[in-house]
Amino acid sequence: MTDTLARLETAPAPVAELTRRPFTHSTAIVLGWELEKLTAQLRTRGAFAVALLGPFAFVLSVSASGTLPADTLFGRYVLTSGFATPLVVLGFAASWGFPLLTCVVAGDIFSAEDHHGTWKTLLTRSCSRASIFTGKALAVVVYTVSVLAVLTCSSLAAGLVVEGKQPLIGLSGNLIASGRATELVLLAWLTVLPPALAFAAIGMLASIVSRNSLVGILGSVALGLAMQFGGLIDGAEPLRRGLLGTQFLAWHGLFEEPGYTGAITEDVLVSAAYLAVCGTAAWLVLRRRDITGG
Amino acid sequence: MTTTDSVPSPPALDLTAVSKRFGSVTALRDITFSVAQGEVHGLLGPNGAGKSTLLRLLFGLVRTDHGDVRTLGRDAHAGQHGVAGFVDMPSFYPYFTARKNLQLLGDYDGGHGREHVEEALATVGLADRSRHKVGTYSTGMRQRLGIAAALLRDPQLLILDEPTSGIDPSGVHEVHELIDHLAATGRTVLLSSHDMSEVERLCGSVTILNHGRLVYSGCLESLRQAAPAPSFNLRTADDAVAREVGDVIPGVQVDAAGEGLVVYAQSTELDAFVLTLAARGVAVRGLTRRDTALEALFLRLTAETEDDVEEDAA
Repeated sequence: MTDTLARLETAPAPVAELTRRPFTHSTAIVLGWELEKLTAQLRTRGAFAVALLGPFAFVLSVSASGTLPADTLFGRYVLTSGFATPLVVLGFAASWGFPLLTCVVAGDIFSAEDHHGTWKTLLTRSCSRASIFTGKALAVVVYTVSVLAVLTCSSLAAGLVVEGKQPLIGLSGNLIASGRATELVLLAWLTVLPPALAFAAIGMLASIVSRNSLVGILGSVALGLAMQFGGLIDGAEPLRRGLLGTQFLAWHGLFEEPGYTGAITEDVLVSAAYLAVCGTAAWLVLRRRDITGG
Repeated sequence: MTTTDSVPSPPALDLTAVSKRFGSVTALRDITFSVAQGEVHGLLGPNGAGKSTLLRLLFGLVRTDHGDVRTLGRDAHAGQHGVAGFVDMPSFYPYFTARKNLQLLGDYDGGHGREHVEEALATVGLADRSRHKVGTYSTGMRQRLGIAAALLRDPQLLILDEPTSGIDPSGVHEVHELIDHLAATGRTVLLSSHDMSEVERLCGSVTILNHGRLVYSGCLESLRQAAPAPSFNLRTADDAVAREVGDVIPGVQVDAAGEGLVVYAQSTELDAFVLTLAARGVAVRGLTRRDTALEALFLRLTAETEDDVEEDAA
């Protein structure tokens, strides 16, 4: 009871000096701490480890066994062109990999505060709910972009290191030179960013509404799988085009001759709609919520 | 022309006709009271009285269904300016150290208090454990860390929910000393506690809740004057004679209770009663305090509210 008591011997600071900082400033503080929290957590490290090492493990196991994933797009070319590997990984991840990878953070980032009982700790400080929501949402975006970037680079690197940079055979049978193939692979991976972010918004909404990380993560993955199955229903084309799972396939047109990018436009629009609806709903629920437990 | 008249400072906290329901449960019903700045005010009530809900309202964590809650003259839901403390058990990130948790909270206050993290930790006796993860902390250590987190803000209004719960006796003494210091510098402290002696020791005024209703709010001294005589458990060599003696000494009431007696008396009358027993040759084998005057009044007040609630239900 020494230094603090000495400090507390003086009168408290006037209330006016304790007013809130600008929104951008407090949001940046929240973002910084959310990223620090994420790096301190095992699940985030695990997700990055999987993203980094998974493609190498995949291509090495295919090389060793000689068994090609022929049912998957570009699967039959895994041993003939290194550019096929990132596209096969892309195909595999579309069904549940991307939802899981994004929602492992998005589905937990809000409900973790319920789990630790720390909502009351945060919300009794000077940061507003809006700053905390925005900071956390931005942390999810940073994580999602980062983990996708790592997965993109590692799957491309795994293919090129193990199988080499031979030209790739496109979906129309056209030969794609290595330079062009690199561009197209990177572009293809870029097209999964919008639906991945949309899944992150679903995960955030589930995390806020359920206050339960398990629901936030696995619920979003289950929804991803349901959307994949929904896309297989015959005669439901408008429904299929509105599903997020379909948007993970928008890159196919890039590898046809001539190339087709209409699906990518649709991908961006549909994903943006999910992002806006789920993001807004998540904010509205959090803004009005009574903090009765955590 | 200038005026030297000072503007009267608003109450540290001011609740007007506050009601709050959670589904079918009424947590608070038409609560109105205020606490002047500089007071140490106790908040008492049995479990389920609505104390936690009231504290959450003051922190802006829950919204009222009806009524107005103001802290330091501002709408409590508009922001926690000059207010610090905790409700229920203080919670922190278990995977961060104590120091990092406080740095985070200091940053969330826009940098206020970040430079005071070390001294706050030292104040609550956690300096040597500050590099340990909070997940390894005991309940008492978390309680201390909660107090440290509140002190970072240099608050005008400090709200503490059972701050000595789980803390060892020497720690309790330090917390009491801290509250005394805060009060001496003009800060307001709202102390929610189950410990009546703690409230009597620290507070000048008190609010008592029961079943979401306001039972009493005001000066502790007035409450003390209205309090019934404290009660004591008494064991004697001859209870029958002891009861006879009790009947003839003014201000003393003696009732049978189980295998012994219960004596209701203020200390002067109790002294006279015990001396008379000795003069009559009745040995006193045990005399222990059952409750303080305030405890006795608290029990009576809350029991009266129970009756009201039952009548309402009927």
